[in-house]
Formats: sequence, structure tokens, C-alpha cells
Amino acid sequence: MSLYDNTTLESLIKPDRVHKDYYIDPDIFELEMDRIFSRSWLIVGHESQIPKPGDFLTLTLAKQPVIMSRHRDNSVHVLFNRCTHRGAKICNKPSGNSRRFECPYHGWAFHTNGDHAGVPYPQRYSNGFITDGDFDLPRPPRMEIYRGFVFIALNENVPELSAFLGPMQRHIDNFVNLAPDGEVEACAGMFRYRFAGNWKIQLENLNDLYHPMFTHASTTGEDGTQFRRQGAEGDEAGKVKLLKENASLNMEWENQIIGGHALGHTYMERFPMDKENSGPVFSRYRNSMKDAYGDAAESNMKIHHHNSIFFPHWSIQYMTQHIRIMNPISVDCTENIIIPLKLKGAPEEMWYAALKSNNNSHSPAGMVMADDMDAWTRCQSGMQAQGNDWIVFARSIGEEKIDNNGSFTDFGTSEANARHQHKAWLSYMCGNA
Amino acid sequence: MQSAIEKFLYFEARLLDERRFEDWYNLFAEDGYYWVPGAPDQTDPYNSVSIFFDDKALLKTRIMRLRHPKLHSQEPQSRTCHYVSNVEIDNNRGNGSEIFVHSVQLMTEFRLDKQTSFSGRCYHHLRTQKSSYEIISKRVNLINCDGIFETLTIPF
Repeated sequence: MSLYDNTTLESLIKPDRVHKDYYIDPDIFELEMDRIFSRSWLIVGHESQIPKPGDFLTLTLAKQPVIMSRHRDNSVHVLFNRCTHRGAKICNKPSGNSRRFECPYHGWAFHTNGDHAGVPYPQRYSNGFITDGDFDLPRPPRMEIYRGFVFIALNENVPELSAFLGPMQRHIDNFVNLAPDGEVEACAGMFRYRFAGNWKIQLENLNDLYHPMFTHASTTGEDGTQFRRQGAEGDEAGKVKLLKENASLNMEWENQIIGGHALGHTYMERFPMDKENSGPVFSRYRNSMKDAYGDAAESNMKIHHHNSIFFPHWSIQYMTQHIRIMNPISVDCTENIIIPLKLKGAPEEMWYAALKSNNNSHSPAGMVMADDMDAWTRCQSGMQAQGNDWIVFARSIGEEKIDNNGSFTDFGTSEANARHQHKAWLSYMCGNA
Repeated sequence: MQSAIEKFLYFEARLLDERRFEDWYNLFAEDGYYWVPGAPDQTDPYNSVSIFFDDKALLKTRIMRLRHPKLHSQEPQSRTCHYVSNVEIDNNRGNGSEIFVHSVQLMTEFRLDKQTSFSGRCYHHLRTQKSSYEIISKRVNLINCDGIFETLTIPF
């Protein structure tokens, strides 16, 4: 029986602030695993991470060890990484290729689609015990693939994936449609890092325009622009203006549209000061897009967003072309995976530029990532203090435009994105989502 | 030559430990680069992510950042100790003026009451100068290159 009934949960979330226990109470964390992570769609990765039959990768997601594998008929499977005999993890490697999975403990074997392939010396089991029993590798109750992204749900009774994503499904489409071939590909591995902070601190950060000029001040040169994050052509392209030349705040940020949709999803539109790409490589890209999409090419080439965050645990960043999977480990530890994605059919030079951009900003040594991780870790340790139990999100409260479908929009350095996530959190935790 | 190369590598390591980042940067040739791959046995910086893949321009940005008064992730600063060992000159590669050297390196970092160590094999491609060498490339193959990291700031 949880210490938290709905009234107690509701008392943690005020319109303009949340109680520190939201981030630091281990009981809350356990309840989140059950009420949020077991009741929403979780992303496992992208099917191009396992391109060939027999390819597999393993990861732990919301505390669950899973395998994503490609069977010999090319179908993609997500399996719990647990032998049906004594419970040993059958796959220990982060990734690889295997004709089948064999448990190292007593040799029970499984096909790459999870079907039980047999046990050694079955004659000592009673008649029919093995053949009639269900010893296939267990699977999450639901699995779906959308535009190559692989999702699971740990509970049968989740809404359909398209209903869960709602208008955010279009954000996935926008991203994948940037590729002339209409597909993205995860062919450059991934970054993995860990910080000593609660998962929600990062979630609140990704669409927070109030922090960059302070947290990332050390990435800013004398002209007020951040180091080149995109490898785009042209001197000004790919530079983000954090500060004005006189080092005061660049209030162009305040024109940027932010918003969100039902179930806690949020987004940030493209930086208004982002320059359009141009140059010979981009012309080749435009030509491939015209060949592929005809009249729809110009609209498909348009980058609409900077970040799209899918509550509770993943995001697309369009500028650097990656997805980020945020994996809660404990109340004060979160592991991240950053997977750069190639736009299939686009010029190789664009992919190299995107990869460099990921290296420069989102590697564990990345010049943006290190600042953020430092700030999130400081939050977690600072929140342990007594004397003030509240974490404040009051910026521009009441200014957001909210519609009847649970969507909202606001501008710039508003903290409406975080407030939107807090409401969704409460709704999930009280069993109303 | 072995002794001169070893002295150069020790000097390079000392520059990083003494936070003489500009002097370290100046060891690199104009066309030089510093690379820490993100995957084991990575053959090309463009077929996988890299933890560091800095040409000289980006390296300069990184060094400027290390000097920035608002670099919060270096408050407090890291203290590091770079150990260099097992230095071998590759006699099958290089010519009179260009030398290929491999070595192993252990960097121990202390920050915020936590000590962390990073090990790997280093590959230096050097060009002979009048009295020393310049670095055409330095590659560090960390044994945990595809592992889980916390914040990294100081080069290996």
C-alpha cells in the first residue's frame, strides 16, 4: 500500500510550483514506474539499429531488461531478457548477431523471435511438461513500430499508439519526411551518459528557453553567438545567438513558440533566428527532395521544431538530428541514450555535418551536454536542503493559451512546458490519464 | 629517437595536468586533429559517434571554453594526472619526418570528492620540427569508449 493517496499526490503540485518530494522521494519514484512508465508507450529504439536477421541489442528500460531482435523472417521483436527456466539474463552483450539465444546457465534455447527452441536432456521432465508448457521468452504486452521507431507498453490497457501520440505523431512524420527516402537510419551508434538527478529535471529542461544564456554562457563567444553547432554552409548558419553583442540577453528568444498536447507532450518551435540553409550541398538535397516528393518537397523540407518531447521519456531534436531516450534508474539517477539519425537519401555531407554536430554538443564531452548535466546534478543535491520545500515554475503563468483538447501554446522563456508536464504527471499518478 | 619521443609525450601529458591548455593546443599542427572514438575499432570518424573529434578550430573553441569564467561544469576544477607508458615507435609506418607512435595512457581525474580513471591506447602521428615535434593527429582509444559516462571536460 503506497503512502501516497490521490489527495497527497495532488498536494505536491500547485499551479506555480511543485513540492521537492516530486524529485527526491524514492516512494514517488517507485509509484512512477507503476503508474507512468507501465501505463504509457516507451520507445526502445529504431529498427535500423538491428538491420540484419539475427541482429539484436539489449537495454534496460524503466528497470526492465529487454532485447530488441530481428528474426530470420525480418520481423522485429522486443523480448524480456530473462530465461523462462531460472530467470537468468540470456543475452549479456549490448548488441550482436546470433542465430538463436541460448541461456548460459542450463542451455535452454530460444529463437530470435522469442519462441522456445528446446531444452537439453528433456527426458527428465515429466511427459508433456516442456512441449505443452509456455516457455517462450516473455514479451511486453504491446509492441508497435511507427516510421521505424519501436515502441512497447508494459500494460495491455494502454491507448493505441496513435492516440497516445496524438498531434505529436505529426512531429515524427515531420522529422522522417526530411529524408528524401522517407526513412531515417541509426547507423552511427549512440552516446550513453548518466547523471545524479531525477528524470523529470531533464524533461523540464529540454524545452526551457530561460536557461541557455546562463547554463551555456561558457559556449558563447564575444559576438554573442554560440559555437557552430550545425555544420551548415555559410558563415552565419548553424550559430545560435544566446547573447547580444553587448552581452545582454538576446530577447529574440521570447518570440519563439512553445507548446504542448495532451498526456504531457511538449515541443519548441524552431529558433526564429535560425537561418535557412543554402549552398551547393543543400541544392543537391533540395533536388533529391523534389525528385522524391514533387510539390510536397518544400513543405517536407521545412524544419518546424527544435525539440519535441514525448512524455515520459524521449525526444527528437531536429537541429542535431537525434533522438534522446531518458531512462530512469532510481530517484536520483538517470541514464541517457543519444542516437543520431541519418536522413536516408540526403547528401552524405549533410550527415557528416549532423554527426559532427552531435559530437560537439551531445557527446559526454559535448560542450552543451556537460553544462546541462552539471545543472541537473546541482538541482538534485540542492533540493535535499530543508527550509524551502517548493520548486518554482511561475514564469508567465496564466499567459498560455489552452484549448479544449489539452493543447496549449506560449512564447519564449515561459515555464508553461514544465507546468504542462506536472499536470500530466498528476493525471497519470492519480490514475486519470 | 625513442627517448626524444618519450620526453615529448610526457611533456604533452604535463601540459594537460598543469592546465596549460593553450600550450597543449599549440602542439597541434595547423591541419592537426584530436580524436577519441565512441566505438571500439572505429575506422572512420564519420561512421560512428565520437566523444571528441576536434579539428584545430574546434579545439580552440574548447580551450576558450575551458578558460571561460562561467564554465559551471568546472566549478570546482578537475585535477588530473595523465600517466604515459608502453611507448613504441611504429617502424613499419612513417618516413624521415613523420613518426607514428603508440602508447598507453591512464588519466585519473579528481573532482567533487570523486576520483575516476580512464585508460586507453593512444596513437600519435607526429611531424618532426626543428627541435621538437608537432601533432598531426592524436587518437585515444578508451577501453570504455562505448560505456556510460558522466560529464567529461578535460582532454585525455
